[in-house]
Amino acid sequence: MDLVVRIVWLLAAFVLASLPAAAREREAGAKLKVVATIPDLADIVREVGGERVEVSSIAKGKENLHNVIARPSHMVALSKADALVQVGLSMEMGFIPGLLEGSGNPQVRPGGKGFINASDGWQPIQVPEVLTRQGGDLHPQGNPHMNIDPRAGRHFATRIAEGLIALAPEWKAEFEARRDAYFARLATSEKRWAEVGRAWKGRKLVVYHQEFNYLAEVYGLAIVANLEVKPGIQPTPNHLAQVIESMKREQCTVIATALWSKNDFVARVAEATGAKVVELPNMCGGIAGTDSWIAMMDLVHERLAAVFGTPVPPKQ
Amino acid sequence: MNRTRAIRLAAALTLAPLALAQNDNPAAGKDAVSPPANLVFPGPLTVPADQAAGQPNSQGTTFVTPGMPTLGRRVSSGQVTRFTNDFNPAFSFIVDGQAQLSEAENGADGADAFLRVFELGANAWVDPNAWAYFTAVAEDEGIGIEEAAVHYTGFGNKNVLRAGRFFVDFGKQMQTHVHDLRTLERPLVLREYLGTELGGDGLQWDSWTTLGDATVVRWSLGAFASLSPEGEEDADPANTPFASVVEGTKRADDFSYTARLTGFTEVGERGTLQLGTSARLVPSYELGLDAGSIAGDLSNTVWGVDVTYGWVGETGIDSWTFGGEMLFNTGDVGAELTGVNDTDPADYTVVDDSLTGYFAYGDYAWDRFNAVGAQFSSAEVVGDERSELEVYYTRMFSEFHRLRFVVGASDSDVDGSGSKFAIQYTTILGAHGHGVNW
Repeated sequence: MDLVVRIVWLLAAFVLASLPAAAREREAGAKLKVVATIPDLADIVREVGGERVEVSSIAKGKENLHNVIARPSHMVALSKADALVQVGLSMEMGFIPGLLEGSGNPQVRPGGKGFINASDGWQPIQVPEVLTRQGGDLHPQGNPHMNIDPRAGRHFATRIAEGLIALAPEWKAEFEARRDAYFARLATSEKRWAEVGRAWKGRKLVVYHQEFNYLAEVYGLAIVANLEVKPGIQPTPNHLAQVIESMKREQCTVIATALWSKNDFVARVAEATGAKVVELPNMCGGIAGTDSWIAMMDLVHERLAAVFGTPVPPKQ
Repeated sequence: MNRTRAIRLAAALTLAPLALAQNDNPAAGKDAVSPPANLVFPGPLTVPADQAAGQPNSQGTTFVTPGMPTLGRRVSSGQVTRFTNDFNPAFSFIVDGQAQLSEAENGADGADAFLRVFELGANAWVDPNAWAYFTAVAEDEGIGIEEAAVHYTGFGNKNVLRAGRFFVDFGKQMQTHVHDLRTLERPLVLREYLGTELGGDGLQWDSWTTLGDATVVRWSLGAFASLSPEGEEDADPANTPFASVVEGTKRADDFSYTARLTGFTEVGERGTLQLGTSARLVPSYELGLDAGSIAGDLSNTVWGVDVTYGWVGETGIDSWTFGGEMLFNTGDVGAELTGVNDTDPADYTVVDDSLTGYFAYGDYAWDRFNAVGAQFSSAEVVGDERSELEVYYTRMFSEFHRLRFVVGASDSDVDGSGSKFAIQYTTILGAHGHGVNW
């Protein structure tokens, strides 16, 4: 009898535990809590969402996205979030899957209405034909660093507006109006960037990691070599020697790096070739004055123009 | 850590409430996007969402806190965005080999090389709420199942029920498989008090909650029909007492139990502090030799208090990790040879005592590929006091293979001192995943 009673208690505990708890509903009129994976997306969420959203970013502007360490505040924020905005294309695979699994918030997981994959619909470049570790730290869907593409702001804003409207349709008109206002500001910047970049066609540069390939594609820049042996694989002396040889042969005089890059390697190559090194932001906030995506892209264009010696029209 | 946060964390570690809130999980639908008409830049910008190459991450890295395994952690469960195995189990093989040169005051000197671990693992989601995995290792002529368990998450957002065979939730290192450790060996005190590995067949309930904006608290309770610590490989059961629990049907006090409470919080912009306490209770066990039982109906409890601090540089590339755990081994802690024949159970006397030991370590990684560290451990054991120091350098060639150089020194009141130099090579093939908790 004692055993039967214990089994009944055990079953009761299971049944109680498995009853679905009340769904967490956002109170009418309450701000949408949005977690963005990178500050660029957080900025555009603010632009589109305005006063209707409360936004935080997981990665900080100086971080290497392969090495973002999940922190308690990330778990807390995601567990309470109405929406998660990520770039996708495996860009955040080093930290987002674990946080999503750990945070216990199905609304912001893939398939949940609060999951906004900002690269949906984007046509990526460098999609690997063969997936093998010989290729290094490959991203199967292609190069994920689309946030350094001058076209990305418009794309991100489109996706974010869709996602926010799905979550709070009562504010549809407001989100659309803010998105369109952002598009108008973007149009001015895009025009200026296009003018700056027009002079770069055929210019050569070397990069540490494949972060600036979208930029190169848009403006017809030629990337002569990568300092990394393969994506995510540290340079070897032999590889650096090959890079130096290629730079001399191709008369390439510019090396572009991000803040996180191994700049001692960059310095070594620059010294051997006499190349100029330009440090470019790869996310908002990494360099002073780049708190917005537009400001970051302004700086990317201005710094590249300075190193190439090409003109920069004034901001309107 | 500011005072308020410290108080919150301390309060959480004392009495943490159960979080029961559950969110809905509606299916998402996205409309196709029309390319904007006013583009300045040439070339296709958008394609309809259903033709998009980017797929969301649905599985992948397990959540990790400072001091947890790093090798292969980024593809620990499924790597669906890396290779298409959404519906198939993600398989992995681990090969862990070692070569060493050792010198001992009272033991064998010389060089050796051996394959330490060959492990096969598989893991997959088996329904929307259940993730299952197993880990099999080559043992002598056969295969041993180290872990085979399912994690059920359908009870609510922050609750997980784990069932099957798995490494118990004690401190931060006992769940870790030997090939995932920061250095060659698990700390001496853990090996002495809990075993080189501690797997159990049973159930474990996990839950967590948040406190404020930057503190998380997790707790677990486990009950195991068998909790069988794995002894040192070179221990001879003919003359080294080993523990065993009741086999077959059991009463409540024949089961073994575990509990853990841990909280972690942020310290400044770049630091994370984790505190934890763990217990493993074995209410009834037997000590014996090959020749027979020394004594039955013994009980033992091991308590642990752990602290870990992790600091990461602003680019996320360089990091410091410091950690340690104090352990208290109480109750029937072993048997001492009081006669002359070490193979005769009658010549042993059970020791009822309270023993203490600890370990501490510090690691520095200056980039994704290179790290150095040191780990020291000391433990009181029956009839002896031992300590061990390992200094190690780990070179990661990629996420999936590494080389490690270790210099170790050991000291024992009974066996004297020893030293060793070892090279460890570990490689992971495929999508590696264990059910490790944070």
